[in-house]
Amino acid sequence: MAVIEGRDIVREYGSMKALDRVSLTVEEGDFYGFFGPNGAGKTTLIRILTGQLEPTSGTAKVLGVDVVKEPLRAKELIGIVPEVESPPTYLTAYEYLYFVGKVRKVDKLEERIGHWLDFFDLEEKKGTICKDMSKGMRQKLMLASAFLHEPKLLFLDEPFINLDPIYQRTLRDYLEEYVTKGGTVFMASHILEISERLCNKLSIVNLGKVVAQGRIEDLLKDGENLERLFLRSVGIKASGGDASRRTSSS
Amino acid sequence: MLKEEFRTHSSYSGKYRFLTFPFFVFVMTFGSGLTLNTMLETVSLERFATFSHLAAFLYGLSVGAFGIMGREYLERRYGRSNYLVAMPYLLPISFKTTFLGIYLRDVLFYILLMLVPATLGLVASAPIMGFSFASIGLLFIALILTFMLGMSLSFLASVIYIRHTRAFVAMTAAIAALFVAHGAFGAPALEVIVPGLGFQMNVRPFGSDWSEASLYALASVVASVIMTALAYALVEVRISIQSKAHADLLPSYYGRIRLEEGLGRTLLAKELLDLKRSGVVAKMFFAFILPLLFLSFTTWYVNYGLAIPVGFNAVFYAAMVGFVAVMMYNWLNNIDLAEYYSLLPVTVPQLIRIRIAVFLILTLGISAFFVVAISILNGETELLWLALVVMVVTSVYMVVLTAYLTGLKTNTFLFDTSVLMKFTVMSFLPDLCLTILSFSLLAEWTLAVIGIALVLGSMAVTTRILYKGIESKWARMPFDA
Repeated sequence: MAVIEGRDIVREYGSMKALDRVSLTVEEGDFYGFFGPNGAGKTTLIRILTGQLEPTSGTAKVLGVDVVKEPLRAKELIGIVPEVESPPTYLTAYEYLYFVGKVRKVDKLEERIGHWLDFFDLEEKKGTICKDMSKGMRQKLMLASAFLHEPKLLFLDEPFINLDPIYQRTLRDYLEEYVTKGGTVFMASHILEISERLCNKLSIVNLGKVVAQGRIEDLLKDGENLERLFLRSVGIKASGGDASRRTSSS
Repeated sequence: MLKEEFRTHSSYSGKYRFLTFPFFVFVMTFGSGLTLNTMLETVSLERFATFSHLAAFLYGLSVGAFGIMGREYLERRYGRSNYLVAMPYLLPISFKTTFLGIYLRDVLFYILLMLVPATLGLVASAPIMGFSFASIGLLFIALILTFMLGMSLSFLASVIYIRHTRAFVAMTAAIAALFVAHGAFGAPALEVIVPGLGFQMNVRPFGSDWSEASLYALASVVASVIMTALAYALVEVRISIQSKAHADLLPSYYGRIRLEEGLGRTLLAKELLDLKRSGVVAKMFFAFILPLLFLSFTTWYVNYGLAIPVGFNAVFYAAMVGFVAVMMYNWLNNIDLAEYYSLLPVTVPQLIRIRIAVFLILTLGISAFFVVAISILNGETELLWLALVVMVVTSVYMVVLTAYLTGLKTNTFLFDTSVLMKFTVMSFLPDLCLTILSFSLLAEWTLAVIGIALVLGSMAVTTRILYKGIESKWARMPFDA
């Protein structure tokens, strides 16, 4: 069953085309990686698929909901972690989760807040407002707020950024278990080592266009890893551990 | 820095629309120039000059509070906007130097934004009306002197506010006392308080005493330099990474709001807690109270200082309070970035409506107190019922109008000419009608009350239409647009 369906999505910012007829399908239970160089259009696509931004043209559905026509309904069903961690300045971690829980009408709210504060070790800094938190703490809080209502589909934009190695591992383990239990993850990331371990399918975009798409095992050539696949797809020649300049624009 | 300031302002409304703002100023002063002779039949040129200098002084005051703003920039540096003022963290440059750079930037930016186009408007009308170019040039210089005095004073006051709140209160009281003393006793002369005006009154077309004019100009420059130097020496940026623990208050705020369980109650609780934690209520209070005091002083000064017999009464003040209060809505939109809302099933219109509610919770009590006090002080308690109705209707009308036109980016109405023009027309017309009708109350009570009722009825209907229109106008707008 397809949980994300994007067809011919175009997004223009003035004369600049950030996305050029991007299409993709994500099935239930997929851990879908979305990769590309800086400025390739990853965040733009995530914002469109999560109802935060309207496409210039094209259609997008998540969990059967048209995100352009019913963005609120779509947001009710999904969890989103944005690229920039930006919780409200003047709320504590507990208060932000309480706020999100009330907006999302979460059952057993106290219990769930307690679970996620404990999971991300946010209890230790209880009483600290977001403005005074470290970037890592804010990232943990954004993750907790996305997981709080136990959505079936998660959109994660650079979820591992700012996390220390301990919590990168904790998050990785949680996401693996989440997918095993039937959840679906759509993730944009530059951390290819972790992504290779987690993702079963991917799209690679360059200059707003999809340049590679499918099951990772089908896309990898002999002896190739995700980093090599990525570099090859965006037109960078890899030699040993180095990547030379882009040889062509794909 | 100039480019950054231009881009910040043009981001509200687009580059070309932003550039129409100085054009709008140009057109306004060009029109004023063409009609000046007609206006001079009722108000003298000296009084025009005086009001122009008071406006330039207030303009300077309003754009010079870097001591406060710098800190706010810094605390938001992790949002989508980073400002050069945060650069001392990364580059070998001191905060003091950065602040001085901001001061110089804003002197140039705001002179170019307002004073230059205003002067050019007069210059354009000069060949038609026969104005002297030299006089317009001297007016421009005099207004710059006054503007810089206001800006330096504001810079210094904001720096002192950050370091010593009591010293700030004392300084504000002392300055207010100067103006009150002038209004009450005629001393010190306004030219002494605002030397730029003294310069103005000694050069063409008012006089030709160049030695006196030079002294006033020198006094103005010296006062500005001293205040800027003091601000430079005292400026301090406190990085508020605090270990202060806050109690988890949101559930109790939520519990205290007697509304149905739901989104509105949650958003309202969160917005009220933001107000408390951000400490902005005190600033908002001053931002609201000071214009009210200024309004009271101005009307009192016109009545008694200038001895112009205008029938200001409680109903007039009530209408003005409603119009002044709308600035508070702007503050509400600047407390925090709203990007995180885009991750939740919440729309921009829902948040706008909550902020309108917060605005009314904050202002109606203060406004009612002010109107009651004015009624008692003026011995017009028989007008109180009418004044309170006028105050409530104008307050609600103005905030809904502002919210409809500007959404969550109220600064737009200052810099987007199309919005500014709509706002000006839609606020000025009822304001003018209510002012005229309030002056007529003593002479034609019944007719004036009927007229006021009709104006208020029209405002109420318009309010309802605009309130409903917020949904369609802002529903598709992203929170971070």
